[in-house]
Amino acid sequence: MSPKRMPTPVEIGSVTDKTLTLVWSDGHRSTYSWPSLRIHCPCARCKDGVGQIPPTIRAMSMGRVGAYALRFVWSDGHDTGIYPFPLLRFELCECGEHGREREIS
Amino acid sequence: MVTRDQVLDALRDVEDPELHKSIVELDMVRDIGIQDGRIKVDALLTISGCPLRETIVESIRTKVGAIPGVHEVEVNLGVMSQDQRQALIGKLHGGQASPRGRSSFLTPETPTRIIAVASGKGGVGKSTVTVNIAAAIAQRGHKVGIIDADVYGFSIPKMLGVHGRPTLIDQMIIPLEAHGIRVISIGFLLPDEDQAVIWRGPMLHKTLTTFIGEVHWGEDLEYLLLDLPPGTGDVSLTIAQTLPQSYMLLVTTPQEAAAQVARRAAKMAEKVNMEVIGVIENMSYYRPAPDASAVYIFGQGGGAALAKELEVPLLAQIPLDTPIREGSDQGIPVVLSAPDSPAAKAFRQAADLLLAALPVPARG
Repeated sequence: MSPKRMPTPVEIGSVTDKTLTLVWSDGHRSTYSWPSLRIHCPCARCKDGVGQIPPTIRAMSMGRVGAYALRFVWSDGHDTGIYPFPLLRFELCECGEHGREREIS
Repeated sequence: MVTRDQVLDALRDVEDPELHKSIVELDMVRDIGIQDGRIKVDALLTISGCPLRETIVESIRTKVGAIPGVHEVEVNLGVMSQDQRQALIGKLHGGQASPRGRSSFLTPETPTRIIAVASGKGGVGKSTVTVNIAAAIAQRGHKVGIIDADVYGFSIPKMLGVHGRPTLIDQMIIPLEAHGIRVISIGFLLPDEDQAVIWRGPMLHKTLTTFIGEVHWGEDLEYLLLDLPPGTGDVSLTIAQTLPQSYMLLVTTPQEAAAQVARRAAKMAEKVNMEVIGVIENMSYYRPAPDASAVYIFGQGGGAALAKELEVPLLAQIPLDTPIREGSDQGIPVVLSAPDSPAAKAFRQAADLLLAALPVPARG
């Protein structure tokens, strides 16, 4: 194995859950609210702002992209965002530890 | 007295030459008639124009004829109906390996080791490396396939001397085979090989996903090599987004300019979470005569430096050698055409290191 491999999810929650839970290969457990994931969509169109996102927004389905990302189909029809694992693990995770981790590193 | 079970057992050894499965398992055997030593076998072919029908007939005759007491074998071939073909495709796609009927490469647990051969820079010999590594892997007794993903600049058909059209069973493509290597290339699907592919990205994407998902590679495939186009463009990205588990093999020349571009391909691998499995340095040196000293036309050390930086092994240094080019132009990889040449030895060494780094799980 080359040294710097990204963390990958070993458990992926369901779109029917209240919040999305991912358990990572490094043991960390992340949770995400659906509206927050939608607002932080990294696709080219959303990067400059997503406009009004209703708080009731949900993912209708999700899937892996290759070995490095997740992709969601949202209830507003949007589906072009590819969320790389490092983005989910280190930037969007809502557990509150990451601000500190980023300061340390 | 010959029994039906004896005949069935003999037929189990008859493989469909394209599908690589027993005709019994594929439900191609419709009826067996036994009258003392005279055996009549009715079998169904997948399509009426099956180019290999004679092979199947011959194989049935030989296997059944070998049963003690059999002195005459009559083979009648029919053609499957639409429903029967659908059932067959379900079987080929399905099996226990992929319950959702998708190609097993599309699941992270796939036992097939998928190796994308990438370079960054063009003209460093990716395709030559791909066919020779594949030939060396096949020589070691492994089932190996090549996807020619260099859609615009395809050259694999020529280098393996494989031409013609793949058989289509409804929507499923059966790869061609040469030197024990299963191959699919856009070259097989064009009206002739001098046609140019002039497409935009979405067409490329569709072609690649078809090659990965709709080609019957066979459940026994152990290694699949992807000959990528140079660079980090559409094709590489499609591969990265489609395959849940794959490795990258980097090809470079000793030249710093080539190694630098290869580094960018490695950067892409890191971003899409593909593991770089090693570096092969091609065109490392030239020896004008067997006892002459090596001439370093493209400089020295590019491959080693790249490997060191990426913390991966340098799998081989392949010399520039006329037999490599001759073999490629004749459709025979140098590993097979000049097995004792220094280049062939270097390719075998690289293949053996790859096999050791990526062993395939034992199959039941």
